[in-house]
Amino acid sequence: MELKVNGQAMTLPEIASDPAMPLLWALRDGLHLTGTKFGCGIAACGACTVHVDGQATRSCVTPLEACRGKAITTIEGLGSPDHPHALQLAWLAEQVPQCGYCQSGMLMAAAALLAKNKNPSDADIDAAVSNLCRCGTYPRVRAAIKQAAGGLKK
Amino acid sequence: MKRRTLLLTGTGALGALVVGWGVMPPRSRLGDAHTLPAVDGQVGLNGWIKIASDGAVVLAMNRSEMGQGVHTALSQLVAEELDVPLGRVRLTEAGHDAIYGNIAAFLGNVPFGPRDHERAVFKFSTWITAKVGRELGLNLTGGSSSTADAWDTLRLAAATARAQLLGAAALKHRLPVDELTVKDGTIHHASGPLSHYGELAAQAALTPPGQVRLKDSKQWTQIGRALPRADLAAKVDGSARFGLDVRQQGQVFAAIRHCPMLGGGIGPANVDAVRARPGVLRVVALGPIAGSTAAYAVVARTTWHAREAAKALEVDWQPPPNGRLDSKAILAALEAEARRAHAAGDGFAFLKQGDAAGALAGAATKLEAVYSAPHLAHVTMEPMNCTAQVLDGHVTVWAPTQVPGFARDVAARVAGVAPDKVTVHVTYLGGGFGRRLDIDFVGQAVRVALEMGGLPVQLVWSREEDMTHDFYRPAEVSVLQAGLDAAGKPVALAITGASDAIVPRWAERVLPGLAPTLDLLNRNAFPDGRAPAALLARGDAPDKTASEGLFELPYAIPNARVAHRPTHSGVPVGMWRGVGHSHHAFFKEGFIDELAHAAKADPVAFRFELLEGLPRHQAVLKRAAEAAGWGQPLPEGLARGVAVHESFGSVVAQVVEVTKQDGRPRVKRVVCAIDCGIVVNPGIVVRQMESCIVFGLTAALWGRIDIVDGEVQQKSFPDHPLMTMAQCPVIETHLLPGDGPPTGVGEPGLPPVAPALANAWFALTGDRKRKLPLMSQ
Repeated sequence: MELKVNGQAMTLPEIASDPAMPLLWALRDGLHLTGTKFGCGIAACGACTVHVDGQATRSCVTPLEACRGKAITTIEGLGSPDHPHALQLAWLAEQVPQCGYCQSGMLMAAAALLAKNKNPSDADIDAAVSNLCRCGTYPRVRAAIKQAAGGLKK
Repeated sequence: MKRRTLLLTGTGALGALVVGWGVMPPRSRLGDAHTLPAVDGQVGLNGWIKIASDGAVVLAMNRSEMGQGVHTALSQLVAEELDVPLGRVRLTEAGHDAIYGNIAAFLGNVPFGPRDHERAVFKFSTWITAKVGRELGLNLTGGSSSTADAWDTLRLAAATARAQLLGAAALKHRLPVDELTVKDGTIHHASGPLSHYGELAAQAALTPPGQVRLKDSKQWTQIGRALPRADLAAKVDGSARFGLDVRQQGQVFAAIRHCPMLGGGIGPANVDAVRARPGVLRVVALGPIAGSTAAYAVVARTTWHAREAAKALEVDWQPPPNGRLDSKAILAALEAEARRAHAAGDGFAFLKQGDAAGALAGAATKLEAVYSAPHLAHVTMEPMNCTAQVLDGHVTVWAPTQVPGFARDVAARVAGVAPDKVTVHVTYLGGGFGRRLDIDFVGQAVRVALEMGGLPVQLVWSREEDMTHDFYRPAEVSVLQAGLDAAGKPVALAITGASDAIVPRWAERVLPGLAPTLDLLNRNAFPDGRAPAALLARGDAPDKTASEGLFELPYAIPNARVAHRPTHSGVPVGMWRGVGHSHHAFFKEGFIDELAHAAKADPVAFRFELLEGLPRHQAVLKRAAEAAGWGQPLPEGLARGVAVHESFGSVVAQVVEVTKQDGRPRVKRVVCAIDCGIVVNPGIVVRQMESCIVFGLTAALWGRIDIVDGEVQQKSFPDHPLMTMAQCPVIETHLLPGDGPPTGVGEPGLPPVAPALANAWFALTGDRKRKLPLMSQ
């Protein structure tokens, strides 16, 4: 099975090509793209958030068959060393991550929000970023989203 | 006093035993040029520092990065003394030499309060504990101790290396050493730059350091600065490697199903049917390992295939031999035991001053309250996992662990090899909070790997297994009594708590070889036979860790008895962020608030007066109160509460602002002030306070684990809410840097938040909360 990930056509190994397999495990075990994390397996925590055709999607409950022909973006494709995403820069400026485990999902949720809404309110952020963080990075996540949004507006 | 002395005698005995085992060079934790393996042309100068050929400093990192910023803070100490930018410090895994042990974590267990520090018994016990800790060399990241432990050791190691490099430059360039300076890892003379560290390392290794001096604080250019964390770039682009991200050639994956009943067993299962499922390679029966409940593991070619197959397991689960646990019954038994012990003057009195019973009887106003706290789970975002490979008699383990030495030991025990046949790689930890001080998941992974013919296998617990098979923060019930005189001044305090001992249970799991010594200690601790025979038989010593946060009473109350009954309920209990402080601050600061109310005093002023003689406590309380606008009017529907608590050497005060939303507390703002001694990296400290507050609010509002018929009822996030972005208050932190050595940061921000919230709720509603979590009532 082929999957379009971060702008590239990638061939999944046969063992990771079952249409019922959640995208999360195809990425992690099939393609070794381990930046997308497993947190709960029931779409409750958001650690596995990726973009499917630009939509923030919890990949732990998204079967591969729902990804056919769609553009998948993972944390590895959010920016590049030369062109980091504005959120990645804001994340570093605010020193957001602590343990860092939930942060890929946080960033992907925030990036999907900013793609649609260049000037999110607190309520917009609350609604779009329902990801769980056990280390309590929420105040800095919020500040970094606003900082990145400020930069995008310019 | 007598009992404390006896405890120390016990520790002394242990020390004598251990000193006999190892032949360590006296006092030194410096190691030597050969402690670290020389690779890629790196030159070892001591057990901590190597110099790479390009002049970079390679630091042996002995602590686990779990979000607390320790890799950066410790690198900062070394960068400071070696005069290199932080970016020139590279990390290498420290290995298992005893110099990498954690002495500060041991010192954190010396059972004294803030008013004891000048006493000879405190000084002696600190000295002997440090000696014992040095000899044991147990490496753990926990107890908010990493920076305190590294403070002298790493600065000395770096300063010694610097002195050797300077000496080598003096020899090479034939210049007096006192005419040389260091800038960014290059030795300079008035005439210009001479050589960088990489060019001098080989000579430096042969050059004695002479007299080594640490920098004066006035010369610091890096300590005290909010330098960015070194690990964060990798944590925003997905490249950071956590335990679950280990990928080795030929790696396979395993899922696990424990017996749902804690401590239960496994019977026959539909193993053949499960093995026939797609992608499945093996089904492995796992007995209890390092405290785990028995389980089946299913190995498959991907995590998904393993998870799906594990779900299809049908097992005849066996009930636990000692009966099915029930947390409601345990809480009722703890309350009965706390009340009985309180009435009988029973329990181990860590604090006994004056005549509490007599003063209580004569007090003008008497208060009595029962406080309680439930079992709690750690709920790290990265579920328990470990990758292991057993190949040609050698075991390799990749583990997100807080205890690499214990991980090595359990791997060796399970595989039946000597510890030196085990290599442990510590990955980043997706949260620790004390859960990863246990090594059950490491032992399980090695056990499974033994079946896999040399293939590396990654064992991944589901969220449900993680939540239902934790080592939980013990539940506790305490009876608190106080007496005020006619002027409203507290004259008597008597507290008796009952909860499971923590350290003995943990030690049985991680240090089974030390169990006989612990038994000996237990017996020494109760030489007068005051411990009931039943407790002694079960090996429950007075447990400082389960008692801490109450007996180190900061308030000047002349007659006080603070006692604890260590119980053994059978619930697997472990170290949870803040440990005993996590709930005892709620008991102590809630009850003090009750006393202030009874005395018709302002809660801040009441505390401030009782903290006379403890300037750190008074200063943080004052700062938090001022910054929060204490005493100034709030809009209708908002109220403030305060708490101050010392833990892990640091003192933290917090003021919480709360409102009522749908009849329930909604936290709007938390103002925090901390004195944690010298601040190495203020940015990290501030963020740890935020972390502690959010973690503590989750526990205060919703945190609970209920066990019914032996099974934990909370299975995943829908049953076990964590605070979300939308619920998170505004948090404001103020640092009051002290001039003493650094003290704890990773935990001390947590204990005060629950009582500050409950006290605010009382101020708002008149409803006094004495039971956690607040939302359950």
